[in-house]
Amino acid sequence: MPELCYRVAWRRQQGEFQAGEAFASFAEAAAALWAWQPQSETSVPSAQNPACTNAVEIWCCRQGEEAGVAPRPQYRFIVYGKVGGGGGNGSEAAPWWGVGEAIKGLVELHRSGVIALQPGQRLRLCHREIFATSAGQKRKACAENIARMVFLAMSLMLVLPVAAILIYLIIKGWPALSISFLLENPQQRMTAGGIWAPLVGTFFLVLLSLLVAAPIGILAGVYLNEYARDNWLTRIINLGVVNLAGVPSIVHALFGVGVIMFLAELKRKYGVWVPFYDRCLLAASCTLAVMTLPVIITSTREALASVPMSFREACWNMGATRWQTIRTIVLPNSISGILTGVILQVSRAAGETAPILLTGAVFSVPVPDHGWRAFVPYGLHDRCMALSMHLYTISTQVVNVPEHVEYGTAVVLIGLVLVVNSVSIGLRVYLRLRKKW
Amino acid sequence: MKTQTEPSARLSSATAPSGLVQQSDVHISFRNVSVSYGPVMALREVNLEVCRGEILGIIGPANSGKSTLLKCINRTIDFVPNARVTGQVLIDGQDVLKLRNVYALRRRIGMVFPLPVGLPLSVYENVAYAPRRAGVRQRHELDAIVERCLRQAMLWDEVKERLDILGTKLSGGQQQRLTLARALSLDPEILCLDEFSIAIDPVTTMRIEDILRELKQQVTIVLVTNLVQQARRLADRTAFFMAGRLVEVGSTETIFEHPQCELTRRYVVGDFG
Repeated sequence: MPELCYRVAWRRQQGEFQAGEAFASFAEAAAALWAWQPQSETSVPSAQNPACTNAVEIWCCRQGEEAGVAPRPQYRFIVYGKVGGGGGNGSEAAPWWGVGEAIKGLVELHRSGVIALQPGQRLRLCHREIFATSAGQKRKACAENIARMVFLAMSLMLVLPVAAILIYLIIKGWPALSISFLLENPQQRMTAGGIWAPLVGTFFLVLLSLLVAAPIGILAGVYLNEYARDNWLTRIINLGVVNLAGVPSIVHALFGVGVIMFLAELKRKYGVWVPFYDRCLLAASCTLAVMTLPVIITSTREALASVPMSFREACWNMGATRWQTIRTIVLPNSISGILTGVILQVSRAAGETAPILLTGAVFSVPVPDHGWRAFVPYGLHDRCMALSMHLYTISTQVVNVPEHVEYGTAVVLIGLVLVVNSVSIGLRVYLRLRKKW
Repeated sequence: MKTQTEPSARLSSATAPSGLVQQSDVHISFRNVSVSYGPVMALREVNLEVCRGEILGIIGPANSGKSTLLKCINRTIDFVPNARVTGQVLIDGQDVLKLRNVYALRRRIGMVFPLPVGLPLSVYENVAYAPRRAGVRQRHELDAIVERCLRQAMLWDEVKERLDILGTKLSGGQQQRLTLARALSLDPEILCLDEFSIAIDPVTTMRIEDILRELKQQVTIVLVTNLVQQARRLADRTAFFMAGRLVEVGSTETIFEHPQCELTRRYVVGDFG
C-alpha cells in the first residue's frame, strides 16, 4: 500500500488551484500554510509567493501519483482576521481568526480524527472577506430572486385579463361611444340611440341603496368594533355578517321578492302602510342594500380597528366616555377608510344584475327626452331600467342590436366601475399621506 | 363605618406594621383586593393605604401586580378582558369598584402609563382634551391650563412655539411628557404614575421629580417604578410587591435601610434572582 502524501495548493483571486509542495504528514502540510497570509491590497502577487491567495487547500494523494482530486473539497474551514479573541472552530459561524490558530486547529482536528482525508479528497481553508457572501448565502439570494419573480409573474397575470377585457371592449364599442350615446334614450326597440334611461336608473338604484346601507352598516360597524364585548350576542352578529356576505346574489333577489309579497299581503289584508308592495326602484335598492351591508360593516370595522388602541385608552384614562372618544379621536382618523369601503360598494352595486332582475328592474321604461322628468324619470314606486340589466337585455333578449351598441354599453358600465374604484383608491392614497401617526 | 374599617386596619397592621397610618389621613385604601386575569392571579388579597398628600412608591419585579393595582384605582381594569376584581378600593371611603359613573372618577385621577401616547391632535388640543370634555369652553381658561400643565411636565419650553403640531409627531420622550401633561390637565386629586420617566432623559426626569415634590401638597401620588432609586428619592412611603402580594410597606427609610423582610432587602440592594 503506497504511502499517503499531503500536497499544499493555493489559488489567487478565485482562479484555479495550483498544487505546490508535497509533505509526508498532515502536520507538516499544515505547518507549510505559514507561508499563506490573508490577501491584502498591499501585497504583490507572484507565482513564487503564495502570500496573497484567498484560499489554500491540502490535497491528499498517494505517494508518487499525480494529484487527481475530487471536484469539491471534503472539508471547508474559514479564517477571518477581523474576528478578535480566537476560540473559533473554523466553521462558517465561528471562524479562526488567524493562520496560526488555523494551523493549530487543523492539526488538532486531524489528530483527533475529525479530519480524515482519503486519497483524492481535499481540505480547503478560505479567507473570508468582510461582508463576503458564502455559497449558502448566494443560494439563498438566488432562491429569493426566483420567489420574487414567481410572485411578480402571478401578480402580472392578474392585470392581464383586466387589460385584455378593457382593450377588447373599447375596440369593439368604439363606434358607439360618444356624448350623445350617454345622453340619448334607447330608440327603435333598443337597436339605436343611447343609454340614458338605464344610466339614470343605475344611478338612482346605487344612490338609494347606499342611503339605506351606509348608515346602517357604518353604525353597526362602530358598535361591533367599539362597544361590543366578546359574548354570544356579538358572536351571533359576526356569524350573521359573515354568512350574509356569502349569500349568492340571486338568493338576495328571491329574498327581495319574498319581502315584496309579504308586504303586499300586509297592505292588502290589513291596510297598513308599507314602504313598497310591488317590484319597484325602492324594493330593488333595498335588496342591493342588504347585499352590500356586510361588506360595509366589515370595512368599517377594519378602518376603526386601524386606529391604535392606545389612543382610546389614553382618552378613557382622562374620563372621556366611549362616545366622546369615538367622536373626537376614532372617527376623525378612520373616516377616510370607512368612506373607501362604502365607495367600493358603489361599484359592486352598480354591476349587479341578479338582485334587481326580480325586484324592480325591467327591460324597458319609456323615459321623456326633455324637461326635468328626463333627469328624474323614476319615482320610488316605479319600475326602472338599469345599466347591467340593459346590457343583459340587448345582448340576449333583443334581436338586431348592432354589436357596437352592446359593447359600448359594456364599456360605460365597466368605465363607471373603474371611475368609482379610482376615487376610492385616490381616497386611500390621500389617507396615507395624511396619516397622523 | 368605624366597625367596617377596623378589620382592615388590623389586617394591614398584620402585613405591615410600619404601614399603619392615621384613619383621617387615608385617601385611597385597598381592602382584600384580588385581581385575576382568567386563571392567572395578578393581585392576591392586597391591603394597602395611601395617605392624602403623600407619594407612595411601589416597587417590585415584573409581573408583581404593580400596574394592575393602579388600574384598579381608576377602574381601567374594566377594559381588560377576563379581569375579575374582588375586594374594595375605597377613595375617601367610597368603593370605586361599585361606582356607576366611572367617568367622573377618572376625571379626578390622573394616570400615566409607561407607553408614550400622543393623541393625533395638536399639542394644544392634547392637553385641552380632558378640560374640553369636562366642559371648559373659554379660550383663556384653556390657554392657562395648557401652559400650566406643559410647564409642570417640563415640555413648555420645547413646544411653546409650535403648539399646533401633531402630538404624534413629537419624539418619544416628549410624547411621554405630553402624556404627563394630559394627566395633570384636570387638576387631579390623585396622580398615578406608572413608569412615568421611561423615555425621558435623566436631567428632565430630575426636574419633573422636583415638580412632583411640589405637587404633593395638593395631590396624592402613587408612583410605580422599576427604578428603585427613584422611589428612594421621591417616595414618602414605599411598598414592595412580589408575585401579586404586598410583601412589605413602610416609610421609605425603613424599607431601604431596615427592611423587615429578607426579600425586600435583597430587592432594594439589587441582589435578586
